[in-house]
Amino acid sequence: MEDSGTKRDGTTVDGLVRMLRDGRISRRGFLAGAAGIVGSMAAAEGILARVAGAQGAKKTLVVGQSADVSKLDPQLSTTVNDIAVTFNIFDNLLSRHRDGKLYPSLATEWKLVNPTLWQFKLRQGVKFHNGDRLTSADVKFTFERSYDPNAKVITKTILNTIERIDTPDPYTVNLITKKPDPLMPARVAYYAGQIMPKAYFQKVGDDEFNAKPVGSGPLKLASWVRDDRMVLDAIKDYWGGKIEVDQIVFRPLPELAPRIAALLKGEVDLITKIPPDQVDQVAKNPTTKIEGVLYGGLYCMSVASQKPPLDSKPFRQALSLAIDRELILKELWRGQGAVPNSLVVKGDSHYDPSLPPLKYDPDKAKQLLKEANYKGEELTLETPIGTLVMDKEMSEVLTSMWKDVGINAKLEQLEYSVYQQKIREKSFKGLRWTDPTSAYNDPDGMMWRHLAQGGVNAYWFRNPRFDELGEAARYSVDEKFRGEAYREMARIELEFLPLIPVIQPMELYGLQKYVDWKPYANQMMEFRRFNLKLTRA
Amino acid sequence: MQGFGRFLIYRLLRLMVALWCVVTVVFVVMRLSGDPVPLMLPPDAPIAEMERLRHEMGLDRPIYVQYGVFVNQAVQGDFGRSINFRTSAMRVVWERIPATLELAFASFVCAIVVAIPAGVLSAIRRGSTYDNIVMGVALVGQAAPTFYIGIMLILVCSLWLNLFPTSGRGEWRHLVLPAVTLGAFAMASIARITRSAVLEILQADYIRTARAKGLPEFWTLAKHTMRNAAIPIVTIVGLQLGNLLGGAVVTETIFSWPGIGRLAIQSIYNRDYPIVQSCVFITAAMFVILNLLVDVAYGILDPRIRR
Repeated sequence: MEDSGTKRDGTTVDGLVRMLRDGRISRRGFLAGAAGIVGSMAAAEGILARVAGAQGAKKTLVVGQSADVSKLDPQLSTTVNDIAVTFNIFDNLLSRHRDGKLYPSLATEWKLVNPTLWQFKLRQGVKFHNGDRLTSADVKFTFERSYDPNAKVITKTILNTIERIDTPDPYTVNLITKKPDPLMPARVAYYAGQIMPKAYFQKVGDDEFNAKPVGSGPLKLASWVRDDRMVLDAIKDYWGGKIEVDQIVFRPLPELAPRIAALLKGEVDLITKIPPDQVDQVAKNPTTKIEGVLYGGLYCMSVASQKPPLDSKPFRQALSLAIDRELILKELWRGQGAVPNSLVVKGDSHYDPSLPPLKYDPDKAKQLLKEANYKGEELTLETPIGTLVMDKEMSEVLTSMWKDVGINAKLEQLEYSVYQQKIREKSFKGLRWTDPTSAYNDPDGMMWRHLAQGGVNAYWFRNPRFDELGEAARYSVDEKFRGEAYREMARIELEFLPLIPVIQPMELYGLQKYVDWKPYANQMMEFRRFNLKLTRA
Repeated sequence: MQGFGRFLIYRLLRLMVALWCVVTVVFVVMRLSGDPVPLMLPPDAPIAEMERLRHEMGLDRPIYVQYGVFVNQAVQGDFGRSINFRTSAMRVVWERIPATLELAFASFVCAIVVAIPAGVLSAIRRGSTYDNIVMGVALVGQAAPTFYIGIMLILVCSLWLNLFPTSGRGEWRHLVLPAVTLGAFAMASIARITRSAVLEILQADYIRTARAKGLPEFWTLAKHTMRNAAIPIVTIVGLQLGNLLGGAVVTETIFSWPGIGRLAIQSIYNRDYPIVQSCVFITAAMFVILNLLVDVAYGILDPRIRR
């Protein structure tokens, strides 16, 4: 057994020399000991170098999206690829987290002072990326621009329930609404509510702001090579705490196969828009995983109900009953989604779980066709390809299901710009796909927004009771009344079917296993600390 | 030299006329394709908003007025402001020219370095196994869709063999797969034309004479054969380079290469007239300049043309 003196001498070169001189070790023992010491030093140096390198290297998250970002002014675009960036460059007064609840963000408190006055207290000490202090003046400027009839923005119908905005001090914002608006906190948490710096915007103007945006969010624009990559740097002294990474890079990877290949190879850390039939390839790969979230909206058939045979209620009901949604979910979506039970989305307030999923009953469908006196008139489904996930496959399946019950269904493919034109002109021949999103986690933000007078999918559907309930619920702060109103509206909608709900799909993302991140139902990509961690060094 | 000078001036004039015709056709066709204003506004935008935007963009003026304004601006290199990007259209397009040229020339170099020697050897060893293999591969290169070639290269060379990145633009390794994908068709076409041209020349009397004189085969090939076979080869090379410059949209999409092709297609879908006009003008300009260079090359290679 070595005594402590020998042990101590064996750990240094000088010690080994003493031991050799004293005859406590042989020459071979000396050489072995010396090699051990030098080897340990080299290993330690290598580890230190790796640690130093790791500490010096930037932690970067690379995100592969299906298209490039087009605009960085948050009031010019609400497309999914753009909001992935703008919700991280800018902050809102409130933030909706994955649990569906609203949390403080730039506002620390909010309350309904009276039925038409919402008051928000702002967080103090927040600065924009250019150093300007964020105050109530910036909030007032942002909101007023969002519904300014002269501004070239697309967000005019979101905050236009506001009559005027008062700012009694730099950290208090009073929103006076035209009528009671129970949804104001939800509105300010989403599109149009991203707070922009008034002074900077007025100095540089619309175009320069769009090219070089300044916000108060956890990321700022570092560089942008269009169609190649957008680099965003993390703000070190962000009020909510610096995010997990130093940099996020957004890369447009429009084709699915290369996008998945980039993930499998480790070139990107996160990719979007994975169709269900590619899930296995990513999930079974040892280094990658799938994260999914039920889309906060529905895929529906929009019905041109002024055109025969769609002007017949029994015919529309037959169309819905002829759709085997469970089969579509199982075979096309590999179970990744849910069959809706009405036009109120699962996850929204006032969703009624007691309603059964929409029924498949081909016999009843045939009976209704007889009732409608259907004589075989052509029914056309017009669709572009690639606008919705699985739109082509679902379109083919739907026309086939309708043919099975005796409907003369036809599928026509449209080019995307023609499709947009037809939406504007309301000139579809019969049916088309639509994917309404529930903007405020509330039926007002989807069912009413789409089917109210002048709504996106209203077309020729008008029902006095539906309209009466929708108007009353929109301006009521009585949640019990609102719930009852929306349940009755959902029943009316399912009877008249201006929109035929088909499926509530899962939105699927591919990630490296070391990325701990969850997707949101409203398609925001949240990268703040509470939603992003990397589990590797 | 005087004759060559006239030849050059004549070609330059033709170049300008060609450019003007291309741009005019694009102007007319884009406006016939539909109204871009609905694509720029949300579906529920009021009619007054649409009219305001249409007026701001000058789209409510008579078409001949729009054309006059357009030509006046085009002469100054101004193709208007991009509807989608909200900045100068020409600036957006110019940003993509380096990437486009990089990919096109890399593909071009790949193509000629492989195709010309392969085609010459095929001609010399006509009917041999080598010839059959090369022509077989060339047939596949011409028949296989670019999309398929690109995806297969990503699968094999990137995912399985881990030799190259899957996509994007960066260091030289990022260029290899897109260059081979884009150059595959050109490679095949040039190889086949080279083989045909060399085969034809090898049958000529003066080649028989050169051989009969005892000239080494290398010099027969280098000095007599290639010089005469160069005209059809230069023609196909020029055409293919034009295609490489303007026809890379599939390759750019697969490999996320930030070139003009992808920009042009996206702009067509978005009815972003200024961008489409700029892309077409730039591409047409590159194409006609290339044709001019090919014509000049003819003049150098074949003195009969200069006279």
